[in-house]
Amino acid sequence: MRRTLYFLLGIVLVGLNGCTDKCKETRTFRQFTPRTFTIAQVRMGVQAEPARTLVNPGKIYTKDGFLLINEIKEGIHIIDNRNPSSPKTVAFLRIPGNGDMAIRNNVLYADSFMDLVAFDISDPQNIRELNRVKDVFQNGQFDGGYWSLNAQQELINDQKVDYVTQTVSTDCESGVTNGGCANCAVFDSRGGFVQNFSSTMSGSNAPAPSTNGTGGSMARFTLYDNYLYTVSQSDMQLFDIKTPADPKKGNKISMGWGIETIFPYKDKLFIGSQTGMQIFDNSNPEKPVRMSTFDHARVCDPVVVYEDKAYVTLRSGTTCQGFTNQLDVVDVSNLYSPRLLKSYPMKNPHGLGIDFPNLFICEGAYGLKTFNASDAMKIDELEHLEGFNAYDVIPLGKSLLLIGQDGFYQYDYSNPRKLKLLSKIPVQRPYPAS
Amino acid sequence: MKKLIGKTAWLWCLIAIPVYAQKTAFKPVFTNMTEFGVLLGQVRYNVTNISENVSKRQNITAQTFNGVQLRPKLALGATVGVDWYNSALLMPVCAGVRYDLAQPGKKNLRVFTSLDTGYGFTWLNEDPTGYETRGGWVIAPGIGFRIGRPQNANFILSLSYKRQEAEADKPLAWNEIYKIENRVYNRLAFRLGLSF
Repeated sequence: MRRTLYFLLGIVLVGLNGCTDKCKETRTFRQFTPRTFTIAQVRMGVQAEPARTLVNPGKIYTKDGFLLINEIKEGIHIIDNRNPSSPKTVAFLRIPGNGDMAIRNNVLYADSFMDLVAFDISDPQNIRELNRVKDVFQNGQFDGGYWSLNAQQELINDQKVDYVTQTVSTDCESGVTNGGCANCAVFDSRGGFVQNFSSTMSGSNAPAPSTNGTGGSMARFTLYDNYLYTVSQSDMQLFDIKTPADPKKGNKISMGWGIETIFPYKDKLFIGSQTGMQIFDNSNPEKPVRMSTFDHARVCDPVVVYEDKAYVTLRSGTTCQGFTNQLDVVDVSNLYSPRLLKSYPMKNPHGLGIDFPNLFICEGAYGLKTFNASDAMKIDELEHLEGFNAYDVIPLGKSLLLIGQDGFYQYDYSNPRKLKLLSKIPVQRPYPAS
Repeated sequence: MKKLIGKTAWLWCLIAIPVYAQKTAFKPVFTNMTEFGVLLGQVRYNVTNISENVSKRQNITAQTFNGVQLRPKLALGATVGVDWYNSALLMPVCAGVRYDLAQPGKKNLRVFTSLDTGYGFTWLNEDPTGYETRGGWVIAPGIGFRIGRPQNANFILSLSYKRQEAEADKPLAWNEIYKIENRVYNRLAFRLGLSF
């Protein structure tokens, strides 16, 4: 009797599944739909709104206890972070086509598709538009979708991004079944580049009375002296901000293709591009001059600099291609010929930040790693926090700002071996977290 | 908790009582069963309205069961194996049971059944960059023959069914945000081996 039962059970098990492997691939991807707005619509769209939840956060920026988180292409969340343990969302500043920001004194500079807009943020509850430099950016990219300006017809041709999730049966061989487009290069707008231009440093370089904010990762905007530097995919556009409330279009410098980020250190500008790191001499802030280029494999490469060392992470995947995942420590004591000191293997490094000797590296879906970088030849891992997605980090001396797919986190890193979570602002993603 | 203790005690009685019921006390001994074979299966994929593909799969498997012969017919132990799937090298670590069903004609042939269940680990698996394979639950019921005298080393032939779960993260294409593959390998395993 028992034997029959056992056989029956076996038959049922086999019958239910057969001898067929069942493999399902679930993927979420961006789908792009073209759409067009008039320039007037974009310019009318700027307004302060009540605070809302984070959905698709981009860059982060902080100044005087206030935190700005970009909502990709939508605007900026203003957060009162004077108490890092309980940040409060104050308002949402709607700026169509916004991706970057920088603050000098009480003036916020933000891009809005083709324009650079200056806002008075002395009262965060009542933000006013001061001025705008019109038609200065020709094209750009948000979250994989491109936009371009059609100046004659006063139109913006944009691509709307939708998130689509689909499940397909695969052959269990994990080969690329949905090839995508191997040669398509798309900039990763939230590619996770972290810069830490600490406020003291910027402060000492800038003219005495001016105060700059601390820039978020992946920044394409930075402030130095009387200039705001913005990088597009191929150019660096300068803005003269001698009068902060009235920015004026300055020089434009062609830099070659694939520019991702800009990082000022002392009187140098470090430009992260998809093929290497470019170093510009900025002793004449009006006209930066290229000094050298440090080439590497074609991957995404956030850079941070401390003293004579540059820390560059190389990451494969997504839009970055390449098959390298590592941290490179580059000796930049001779700015004309940067030299690789050592490479450390990583899993999927995104943004990084340095508060010497602490080095923080976001490992994407693998969490956050803390290192002791006091010896460039022997960088020790102190802690590895897992279980969340991390792509961007800013160390602020004592607290660490971290943004990932499922939230904005603040950690106390007074003990770098054991980070203490201070607070979390959740993100409501339009797609499942990976 | 009390219930659980009660159940466990009851289960132990089930196993233990027949041992004591035997006339000559059976002394538990170490037993080993080592087999090598193939995992046979197929897969249907790329199913769309206009096309689909089916392909057959053959993979190599090896396993060793080490345990205690608790009763003349029953052995309990652990099964450790290696399964070479086309895109994953999994190492199932299972709890296993072997039970002799019959000895037809009292000859040197015994029919046994087996059941192994546990977790398939990816310790030995090497992923290409961007991939991350994780193992999963595995269960394998089976039936087989032992040829040879019970007190000697035996030759084994077995047929079992194996269900192995696994999942893999895949590298993302330029417009992708998230991609994961959930796999269930349903295979027939045909093995040859030795036991003692």
